[in-house]
Amino acid sequence: MEEKIKIALAQMCCKREDKKENTRRIEEITIKAKKQAADLVIFPELSLTGYVVRDQLYELAETIPGPSTKRIEDVAEKNGVHIVFGMPELSQKTQATIFNTAVLVGPQGFIGKYRKMYLPTHSIFEEKRYFRPGYRAAAFDTAIGNIGLSICYDLYFPEVYRLIRLKGAQLLVCISASPAVRRTYFEILTLARAVENSAFLAYVNLVGVEDGLQFWGGSRLIGPNGKILLKAKYDEEQLVTGEIDYGDIKPIETFIPTLKDLRPELFDELKKHAENF
Amino acid sequence: MFVLKYLPTTIKREGVGVRLKLKTSVLDLDLPETERRIERFIRDYIENSGAKGIVLGLSGGIDSSTVAALSALAVGGRNVLGLMLPEKETYNPKDIEHAKLVAEKFGLSTELCDITLVLEEFYKSIPVFDLSEKVGKGNIKARTRMIFLYYYANKFKVIVCGSSDKSETMMGYFTKWGDVAADISPIMDLYKTQVRKLAQHLGIPKEIVTKPATPALWPNQLAEVELGIEYEMLDLILYGLERFMKPEEIARQLDVDKMIIEKVKNRWLSSEHKRRMLLTAKLGYRTVGMDFRLPRASY
Repeated sequence: MEEKIKIALAQMCCKREDKKENTRRIEEITIKAKKQAADLVIFPELSLTGYVVRDQLYELAETIPGPSTKRIEDVAEKNGVHIVFGMPELSQKTQATIFNTAVLVGPQGFIGKYRKMYLPTHSIFEEKRYFRPGYRAAAFDTAIGNIGLSICYDLYFPEVYRLIRLKGAQLLVCISASPAVRRTYFEILTLARAVENSAFLAYVNLVGVEDGLQFWGGSRLIGPNGKILLKAKYDEEQLVTGEIDYGDIKPIETFIPTLKDLRPELFDELKKHAENF
Repeated sequence: MFVLKYLPTTIKREGVGVRLKLKTSVLDLDLPETERRIERFIRDYIENSGAKGIVLGLSGGIDSSTVAALSALAVGGRNVLGLMLPEKETYNPKDIEHAKLVAEKFGLSTELCDITLVLEEFYKSIPVFDLSEKVGKGNIKARTRMIFLYYYANKFKVIVCGSSDKSETMMGYFTKWGDVAADISPIMDLYKTQVRKLAQHLGIPKEIVTKPATPALWPNQLAEVELGIEYEMLDLILYGLERFMKPEEIARQLDVDKMIIEKVKNRWLSSEHKRRMLLTAKLGYRTVGMDFRLPRASY
């Protein structure tokens, strides 16, 4: 496994309901990122379709594998990079259920997927109306390190990140579609999730305006010590690339050993209280 | 609960909400950020709709002046047309002067259409028209202005930009299908006192910012007199209701009679029919206005 890898945060504005155009943009941006020697290119939540597509999700959702993942696998293979992107996933088994999914593909094809566990259904969000929540945290061993996947509102739930970290993830990837009124929370939470898990965190947010919602961008790469290594502009499309060195994790974990000091018995307590409050 | 007692009372959890202190500063805005967000919203809509620009009713009041300024800053003054739509009964030369002042300052063009003759024809053509019924008559004025605006929108392939603010929208203080009718309403999420701050920030002349608001539906009509409350107080009440505060708590914090809060709340809730249109009986699989939940993708 590579110790140092280069990550591209592809902060993109999607054309809603247009999978063809968004796939084309994903390819175009990946080629650009490859020119900047990126090993991993990360796109926002639901980057295949746009975020505010409401009932159109029923028509846009696709199985995994499916035509869109196939196309993006080809892009990864052709460019010799890993790609994370977001899409509405139609259940292969039921052919009727939809998940909000992050997909990881690499030069050798499909690696894995993560179905969003925490679906915001409050304020302007209506995800539970459309999606079934996932039940499995996802961390994947790849040629460029162990990568854990998460999506947007998951950031408010530290247990998701703890779990993927304990599954081995050294790079926590969070793809997002966060509107501007929530910016402050996300700026704090991304730092916290990286620090409390002694891991790198790559956060990639959507930009653009969809039905009056303005997505704020501000994608960032955060070190295990909470240092912001790289940050994209607010509100504008941008591709930024930065390097991480997995070798930085050990000294940080030694300095503040959050994983060593973990108290598993508290999780039993948590479970007990979470079932009855 | 051992942790909570050390927190200051303002952030102590209370039920599902957070205990709020209703003071004027809760309505403070990050003005440059607010300006940027609204301009981006307008620009994005114009770019995606393929429209050539914006037409808006320019009354010379604070709301339409603010929207005119934001529109001009977003897409350029040459792409914005301010329509002045006076009529005999409420005509005030000061308003025209103010509208022109804003247009000149932000570089938008203006056109004046006197709607008096149209109104008189309306009054004559309606067999049951009652001159003494001022609300019905006033609503004809607001809806006539809407017709003029949409004619210009069709003619010049532009969109209609509305000027409703959050205070009057929540209170239902507007004409259904009239002044609220627009393709976009950029300041509808700002309370009136917030619009005043934004207007000042944008450089709207002081005499416009401080001028008492009027819908200009009949002579000497003043918004605060009709609403029976000053905007400074109304906005704090609405702010509290927006955040699910109980009327008694709002009354206690603002040191006003609970009846006043109840009145505002009732007016807000009873006017929901003016804000959510297209209501039908649910019969089909998916129904317009109910569970057809479609994105505004193609504008």
